[in-house]
Amino acid sequence: MAIEIKMPALSPTMTEGALARWLVKPGDMVRSGDVIAEIETDKATMEVEAVEEGVVEDILIAEGTDKVAVGTVIARLEGGEKARLKPQLKPGSG
Amino acid sequence: MAAAAQKKAGSKKAAGKKPAASRSKSKAGRPPGSKTARLARNDRPEKEVLLQLYRDMLLIRRFEEKAGQLYGMGHIGGFCHLYIGQEAVVVGMQSVSKEGDSVVTSYRDHGHMLACGMDAGGVMAELTGREGGYSRGKGGSMHMFSREKNFFGGHGIVAAQVPIGAGLAFAHKYRGDGSVSMVYLGDGAANQGQVYETFNMAALWELPVIFVIENNQYAMGTAVPRSTAGTHLFERGAAYNIPGQQVDGMDVLAVREAGETALAHCRSGKGPYILEMKTYRYRGHSMSDPAKYRTRDEVDAMRKQHDPIDQLQEILLREGVDEAALKQLDSEVKKEVAGATDFALESPLPAAAELYTDVLVEIPASTA
Repeated sequence: MAIEIKMPALSPTMTEGALARWLVKPGDMVRSGDVIAEIETDKATMEVEAVEEGVVEDILIAEGTDKVAVGTVIARLEGGEKARLKPQLKPGSG
Repeated sequence: MAAAAQKKAGSKKAAGKKPAASRSKSKAGRPPGSKTARLARNDRPEKEVLLQLYRDMLLIRRFEEKAGQLYGMGHIGGFCHLYIGQEAVVVGMQSVSKEGDSVVTSYRDHGHMLACGMDAGGVMAELTGREGGYSRGKGGSMHMFSREKNFFGGHGIVAAQVPIGAGLAFAHKYRGDGSVSMVYLGDGAANQGQVYETFNMAALWELPVIFVIENNQYAMGTAVPRSTAGTHLFERGAAYNIPGQQVDGMDVLAVREAGETALAHCRSGKGPYILEMKTYRYRGHSMSDPAKYRTRDEVDAMRKQHDPIDQLQEILLREGVDEAALKQLDSEVKKEVAGATDFALESPLPAAAELYTDVLVEIPASTA
């Protein structure tokens, strides 16, 4: 099931922002907490983090696009159970 | 990072009644955050306890991620401070507390509410300003309370909860109910004057209070060494003979152990105790903080090497819990958060008449 990633409001007054940079591309696996994009608001450049696990299916708003309204779908993720549990067993790594 | 893992300040000794209380003393020299030392331990709690800790931390993580998302969608207004990264502190402490112990904290408070057993739907509905919220939608993120769960609030004023927590401890002592007051404060709050007035009175009257300093290393955007003379916050009680201990706050089992020591100290009538939890928040101070005062590498390193949930997951897998069981837990938690979200968005906005309620105490005419 595709998960829609929408342009977030990153401050109480933000209504639109510029999509400054994408840090992922289609096919990339993302985990909750990964930074996926940078957005310029009226005040600062903010990082957008993924809140779901999945594979980036589609980027819908190209980087460098100005005045993207809050709530616009900017990307789609293919959600997957497989990405959810990723134990990092590294013997001897302390 | 401070070098010493655990150290005692002050002259009082924390010689608790329970055998568990003395265990932590042999751990001096273990660097904070070392996974291997913890994994080698053979006195871990039972599997059921570990699974409960895992579930409780995961609930806070998923709840906060959802809150962040709802904020981004405009469903939450005003301030919103997320607890992501710090989950082990409150979950570990509350897991060793007893019914009747009271809790009071700052504005980064959603995790504390959940760890106290407050309903996720009621907390989320308060975040979205709805009638179904703990303060009927009028308090928001920083202002929720539950008498039933002995949770005395989030407080928006830095360190204001500290004297309130001593007052709660005074009540426990006065009533002789054997309960302890747990006061959570941040590293920024640790430099506020009222904290030291509180330390003085708490020590003077030997109040049963634990000051849990959640040192997430940044007071808003200011790193501890830039704002703090004497960065060993666990030693701040030395002048009042309040014992203190530094704890790896990313390790829920270390937190539990220290919590047991501190609780045993307080319950045996020896007065207050300070625990400095070395922890880290992954998100900005609040939702509108771009967090440019630290590097992305620093945050990533912390998440990859010290994440409290991943660390416990590793232990559980080594203990023989199978992945499917953890996946099952994960989906249960997601379902609970989804249910809380639905409740929060379906609950109506408070009626206009609510503007006039809970403002003044209503005194019956006969007593006025």
